[in-house]
Amino acid sequence: MSFQRYLVRRLLLTLPLLLGITVVAFLIANAVPADPINANLPPNQLNNETIVRAFREKWGLDKPPVEQYFVYLGNLLRGDMGRSIKSGEPVLADIAKYLPATIELSTVGIVLGMSLGIFFGVVSAVWRNSPVDYVVRFLSLIGVSFPIFLLALLGLTILHAELRLLPGPGRLGFTASEPPTVTGLFVVDSLLASDFDTLRDALRRLILPGFVLALYLSGIIARITRSSLLEVLGQDYMRTARAKGLNERNVILRHGLSNALIPVVTVIGLMYGNLLVGSVLIERIFAWPGIGQYMFRASTSQDFPAIMGVSMLIAFIYVVVNFVVDLLYYFIDPRIRLA
Amino acid sequence: MVLAGLLVVVFWLAMLLLAPLLAPYDPLAQNVRNRLQPPGALHSMGTDELGRDIFSRILHGTLVTLPAGLAVIAFGALIGIVVGALAGYYGGLLDDLLMRITELFMAFPTIILAMALAAALGPSIQNAVLALVIVWWPAYARIVRGLVLDVKHRDYVEAARSAGAGDFYILSRTILPNCLAPALILATLDVGNAILTFAGLSFLGLGSAPEVPEWGRMVSIAIDFFDQWWMWLYPGAVIASLVMAFNFIGDGLRDLLDPRLRGK
Repeated sequence: MSFQRYLVRRLLLTLPLLLGITVVAFLIANAVPADPINANLPPNQLNNETIVRAFREKWGLDKPPVEQYFVYLGNLLRGDMGRSIKSGEPVLADIAKYLPATIELSTVGIVLGMSLGIFFGVVSAVWRNSPVDYVVRFLSLIGVSFPIFLLALLGLTILHAELRLLPGPGRLGFTASEPPTVTGLFVVDSLLASDFDTLRDALRRLILPGFVLALYLSGIIARITRSSLLEVLGQDYMRTARAKGLNERNVILRHGLSNALIPVVTVIGLMYGNLLVGSVLIERIFAWPGIGQYMFRASTSQDFPAIMGVSMLIAFIYVVVNFVVDLLYYFIDPRIRLA
Repeated sequence: MVLAGLLVVVFWLAMLLLAPLLAPYDPLAQNVRNRLQPPGALHSMGTDELGRDIFSRILHGTLVTLPAGLAVIAFGALIGIVVGALAGYYGGLLDDLLMRITELFMAFPTIILAMALAAALGPSIQNAVLALVIVWWPAYARIVRGLVLDVKHRDYVEAARSAGAGDFYILSRTILPNCLAPALILATLDVGNAILTFAGLSFLGLGSAPEVPEWGRMVSIAIDFFDQWWMWLYPGAVIASLVMAFNFIGDGLRDLLDPRLRGK
């Protein structure tokens, strides 16, 4: 199959899913027992006849539900997700403000988590049933079983409060000032501004939350890598590779791992969800001003436009991430190209 | 490992029945003069910000978290099995429709959809469980559908059909019994995860009311009393022990039943 055909086919499967997400979001937003006007406007505007009427008109609330959905979809396509009740700002602007902090943290988390997970998964599979294997398997089981908030609190107590090795919660300390916003990622922005003190502070503050997130992810990745590599190690082509006289390192890394990584890549795509779960909980503990913190505040204060905006955005990203993973398959798995 | 897991689970199941008898104090009784006491002779796990006994609250917490996790799995699996069975058995348009709906629900990360639903329905334990059931069933629907597709053309199913059996009989008597084992393994592997996610929702304030002794909620309240480590360490460790126990059992079951892993 040519890449173009594969791409078009995947796209055709993805578009209905994106549309479906807007339907689900619309349904949940309309399942609120409360009146949508009460749920979406700040209390002090409820008595203001003009604002209420404008709101009703903008979202087509006097029309039948099906028509309402299309009004909603139309507004959405123009990038209008409504206004957050709590901040009073357009939801999209809020998201743009909070998203970079989450991207910065989750990038550190997933890069560290993948490196640790794949490394320990390989070690554990190669030295199967050795003490190393048992230790890795036990640790990865702890990684998937420990509530991430417990890991975070333990990390803060030991490394910050007791040993004073790492700074506490927050993206920056009190003394540092935010670098001028270009990307919203403090590490990148402070580098662009050549502000190395801020850069050092931002990096140091990423270590602990990033590492906690990584521990949580690496448990899952190590387990999948181990079982996938074990399955591959038993294949005939592994024996062939050894029979050709390749050294063990080459056999395992080039013939073994490259085949074992296919399911690992799938899982990493699907793990985007776990990454967000982790981020929501970690951001709460580390006072990290990211999208998880925003979602948390929105959901505990019934800020509906914000909740639906974030859920939809996240579902969209999820679909897009998995679309990209599907495209990656094309390059990783030659069977798709030949099919 | 499996045995250790079983022991821990049995221990907590026993606590489910014995908590009211074993708890030394009323889990709701406040005693502000006695607040934030570290673990000691009177309070083996210390007291919280309102002077409530943490040990008693943890014991009573069993009554909330464990049933909640089990309920999520039970209802989620039930809905998933019905949807998966119908989709796999009837195929065609119904299959397409049900599977697209399933995929749709899978596109929302668990906690985000659960947060939106819990916020829409209002924060309470029942609503948190309901929200988790709504995000939990698709995985089961997918698995059961695959299994039904595999089983439905077997000879014994054809035999039942040629003997004149109706759809309901064929599905419930010949097909489903052969699909349930893998779904049950998934369920065991999943209990830990359900408890963890429930605790996470609760931690975010979307489960129980603050006064209810619930482990996730206890940890969440303790964040503001970070230096009083006993307030978060004990409930957190209890969640970890239970989740780890279920994961041990699930792992063991899978190793036992997956012939590819046996004997290695």
